[in-house]
Parts: sequence; structure tokens; C-alpha cells
Amino acid sequence: MTTHAYLGIDVGSISTNLVLIDSASTVLFTAYRRVDGNPIHSVQKALLEMREAVPGTLEIAGVGTTGSARTLIGAVVGADIVKNEISAHARAALHLHPEAQTIFEIGGQDSKVTILRNGVVVDFAMNLVCAAGTGSFLDSQAKRLSLSIEELGERALLSNDPTTIAGRCTVFAESDMIHKQQTGHQQHDIVMGLCQAMVRNFLSNVCAGKEIRPPIVLQGGVSANRGIRRAFNEALRTEVIIPQHNMVMGAYGAALLAARANPARTRFRGYSLCDREIATRSFRCNDCPNQCEVIEIMDHDDSLGRSGGRCRKWEQGVQAGGSQ
Amino acid sequence: MTALAIPPWGNYSIALAASVECLRVTPWSTRSTTPEIMKLGAEASPEFSCLAFKATTGYFIKAAMEGVEYGVMVNSVGTCRLRYYRELQQKILKDRGLNLFIFGLGYDGIKPPLIRHFDPTMGDFLRCSARAFFKVHAVDAIEKLAWETRARELHTGDTTRLMNTCLKDLDDARTVPAIRAVSRAVPARFQTVPTDAAASPLRIGLLGEASILRDSYLNHNLEETLGSLGVEVRNFFLLGNEMAKIFNIGLWSPESRGALTRLARPYLKSRVGGHALESVAYTLRCAREQYDGVIHVSPTGCMPEISIRPILRKISQDHSIPILELSFDEHSSHVGVVTRLEAFTDILRERRKQASS
Repeated sequence: MTTHAYLGIDVGSISTNLVLIDSASTVLFTAYRRVDGNPIHSVQKALLEMREAVPGTLEIAGVGTTGSARTLIGAVVGADIVKNEISAHARAALHLHPEAQTIFEIGGQDSKVTILRNGVVVDFAMNLVCAAGTGSFLDSQAKRLSLSIEELGERALLSNDPTTIAGRCTVFAESDMIHKQQTGHQQHDIVMGLCQAMVRNFLSNVCAGKEIRPPIVLQGGVSANRGIRRAFNEALRTEVIIPQHNMVMGAYGAALLAARANPARTRFRGYSLCDREIATRSFRCNDCPNQCEVIEIMDHDDSLGRSGGRCRKWEQGVQAGGSQ
Repeated sequence: MTALAIPPWGNYSIALAASVECLRVTPWSTRSTTPEIMKLGAEASPEFSCLAFKATTGYFIKAAMEGVEYGVMVNSVGTCRLRYYRELQQKILKDRGLNLFIFGLGYDGIKPPLIRHFDPTMGDFLRCSARAFFKVHAVDAIEKLAWETRARELHTGDTTRLMNTCLKDLDDARTVPAIRAVSRAVPARFQTVPTDAAASPLRIGLLGEASILRDSYLNHNLEETLGSLGVEVRNFFLLGNEMAKIFNIGLWSPESRGALTRLARPYLKSRVGGHALESVAYTLRCAREQYDGVIHVSPTGCMPEISIRPILRKISQDHSIPILELSFDEHSSHVGVVTRLEAFTDILRERRKQASS
């Protein structure tokens, strides 16, 4: 007997996430892996991983993509729905916690706040040009201290007296941390100070002017960090909720949206796409002075779709993100 | 023939180019900034100057490199830093050893310096002014039809292609009768685009700083991106209205400065500078006319537009109209802009659904 399943793929700056759900929205499989500079390969590898892990009787009846590579990956895998990550994350958070009023989502290079009222998104904000409050920064600091990112979180919990770190800017935060280390502050106090600085930066920049009401859901890659969770709880004087699939909520949301769209016939191109050589090529459009570089995705000699133009006229084979 | 560089100002560049022909110069103009110009400008400009400054500086540098001798720049309208841009740009060009003289388009006497220098005959001047006037209004008409049609088109790209052909024809029209003939034909031409007549697209008002609103490179092609998301936009910077405001024609019109000042008065009693007063007034108008939302654009660090952000937030709360703030600089990521636009339109669609149920 075949069972219908829906696949969500979230390809962001740092990680490629997959979530497979059944028609009752139960999670059957999740994957979280690094993009490592090649979004197409990372999706191919993640799909192979999924094929090994799930029974062959599952039939994929719908695919949703999200994340910054959503259009590219949507064309590569044959997505039924291509959705921006703000809406996808909100979908997943509301599914697990319908009472949520605020979502904090901190990923590799993005941090976002989404304001929900009565189960509907009413406002959002994203970090602009600064990555001081995101996962990449924590990553690089962990590396500098020769800690794994998990150890960094655990270490922060040991601190009783966190030291103050300047968190306005990544570079200054780093020099401040080095200064504190050279003057003899203990490592766990510095690490916890770093977490507090990041949270302070997030609340004062990204959340500026927004009314933050509990219940607050914290998700995205950085939500796995226990130091950050502690810093949020202390700063907001409330317990933030870490949802069950906190690391892969974007992909979960995309899967939920694909299930809701419930396409009569999915455009998913099947696992065979994992074995194929999928490449991109580019050309310049001369229709207007913008002269965009348009990317065309090629499966051998077949064009799967195009993206990259500032207008959407070249985005054939790729569904526009706003339509449902 | 001598060439004159006119910084890009969206589709109005067509009209601006026509207006200088009476000076017996070749207009050096394009409709939008290009990546190369942006790069040149960003390198030559102080980091915290605004995007409009960087784009126009880059434009003059590129023009000077191509051997253009003259340029024009707005220099005394409004009370933001724009007032000093001409002087600063002239110095930047000089420091780089580039010979391009920039005329200011300010009020310093009855004849602007540009006219004093080239001294056109009265007949030529009037003829060219008339052509420019009709071209500005033709561009406005084409823009308005494109906003309506694009949100309803069945095949993505049809409207833009037609719009470009219309603009090309307008650019080629050399006499007032020819320009008016192009204008008259425009509505019928837009009728030929296959559209979904039953569609009721979201309506979003675009307002804020003028060069960002009008240069499709600087604003990441906001109008087209929104149009293809099924949104009918209204860009509140229309040069036809603006000209009337500058020359104080049509004091009774709802677009006149007096009317806008009265509209904004409950929230703003000063002019602030730039187009800040207009942004407040038009946001209130969008709320009154039940637009689904407003997008407020500005260059990063724009004094007038940033000053009124708290006011816009208050209007948003008081009148329950969602506002998306977008700041642009040369580092703005295209994906980031598109993500925000998509998420914003998702919110507006959801609001409509809730309101109707």
C-alpha cells in the first residue's frame, strides 16, 4: 500500500534542511546538513539520505521549497510551492504552537522576528546589513575558542557572573572578547557574555519598535544553542518555547504548505534527480538597462527553469512565491 | 556636438532628454543606474552618503570618462543634503582629474545657469519645454496603465514588454503632435494585453524618497516584482504632479503642496525636507482610500524619510494599515528584498481573507 507524503526543503545560507511529513502532518524524516557552497549537491545528498531512511512505499505527493535558494531548488526538484522563509517558518510555528504571539528565528546569516496575533502573521522584521546576531558569528567565535558550537552552548550555562561584551558589531564584539580573555576573565563567563550581547543586539535592532508578547517561539539553527536560550529567558523574563523540530522549522513549514496545497499531481521529479548532473549557466538579459544576469538551470540539455532576473519574466518553470 | 549628462530618473529620463535639445546639446541619459555606474559611484563617495548621491556621482564619473563635457544636477530643492550634492560631486570629479562641469538646477535668478550658458532662442526653449511637458504626462499615463495591467496579466512579462515599446515610441517622437499621438494610442495598446478581468489584486502604495522610487536599479525593480506577485501598485512620485507643485500650478488640486500639508497636519506640522511631508500625506491617503498596504522606501541614512518613520508607525496603528519599511544601499541583497516583499504580500492576502470571512 502506498502512503502519501509531503516534502519540505529549506536551503539557506548555512544549512540544507529536509522534512518529510505524512498527510496527518506527522514528521517521518528530517535532515539537517551544511550547504558547503553547493546548494544543488547538498539537496541531492540530502534526498539520497532520505531515500535510504524511509520505506519505498511512501509516495511523495507534494514538494515545497523555502530559504534563500528556494527558486533555484524549486526548479531543480520540481516544487509544487515556492514560499518565502518568513511565511514558511510562521506556518510551522503556528502548527505546533497555535497560541504563539511572537516568533524569533535566528539562522546562519539571517535573524527575523515575526509578530503573530490570533494565529495570523501581522508584522515582521529582518536584520538589515549586520550579521552580529546570527549563527555565522557564533560559529566563528566557537572556532576561535577551539570549541564546537554545542560545547559553546554548554559552557555558557556554567557561568554565574557573565561578563559584558560589546555586541553592536561582530568585529568589536570579537576584540572585546579577546580583551576580556587577556585580562583573565573565565571562558564560560565570556561565552555567556557573548550570548547575552547577541540577544541584546537582536532585541534592540531587529525587534526595534515591535511589541514582543509571549508566548514566544524560538527557532532556527541558533535555537539549539543553550546559552542563547538562557540569555533570551533572562532578557525577556519569560520562558521562550523551543518547538519540537526547532532546527528544521522552515522545511517543516514548507512541507505543511505543500500538504495544504495538496496538488492533484506533483511536479516532483523523483529521486532520479540525485544521480543526474545538474548545472547552471547564465546569460545577460538586455531588455532593460538593469541588464540582469539570468541563471538557467540545466539538466544535461534540458532547461529546468531560470531565475536571477530582477523582474520575474525569466522565471519559467518556477512558481511565483506569492501565489497559492 | 556638445554632450550633457542627465542622471537617470526612471522613465522620466526620456522627457528630461527631450527638454535639453533646445540647448543644442546631445543628452547623455539612461533610464536607470547600471551596476558599473553604481560601482564607480560607491568607490568615489563617502561611505555614509546616500544611495542617490552614490548613483549620481557614479553617473557623472562614467560620463566624464566617456568624454561628456557637461552635466546637470538638482541642487536647491528640498532641505536635505541634496542641496550640496552638486558642489561635492564637482569636487570629487576635480580630485579625480575629470573635466565635467555640473550645472545646478536651482533658483538663482530668473534664468538658471544652464540656460544662461547655452542661451537658447525663446522659440527653441518654448518648443522643447512643451515637448518635455507632454512627454512627462505621457510617461505618467503609461506608468499608471502598466501598474493596473501588470497585476492582472496572464503571461508574466507582457506588460513590461509593451511598456518598453511604448516608451521607445515616446522617445522617438520628436514633435508635440507626434508625442500626443503616442499618448492617445497608449490606452488601446494596453487593452491588447491578455488579462484576468475577474482578478481583484492587492493595492499597495509606494512612497518615500524620489530617486529610489523611480530608479528601477536602485529599488530592485520594486514595481515589476510586486506586479508579478499580483499587486497593483501606485507609485506616489509622479513628475507631472511634482512639476505642478514646483511651479505652484493648480493650487486647488489634491496634489498641491497646500492640500498635502493640510492632509498631513494632524501628524506633521513641519515640512522636514525631501519628500517627508508627502510620505506622511500619501500614507494617510492610502489609509483613507483603503489600500491594502504601504511600502515606504528610502536610501539608508536618509534624514527626512527616517525622521518620519515613527510617524508612519503611528499612522499604521491608528488607521490599521500595514507599512513595510525598505532601506536601500549598494549592499542591499536582492533576495532579501524579494523575501520581504513576498512575506508582506502574504500578510496582506491573509488580512483580506480574514476581513472577508
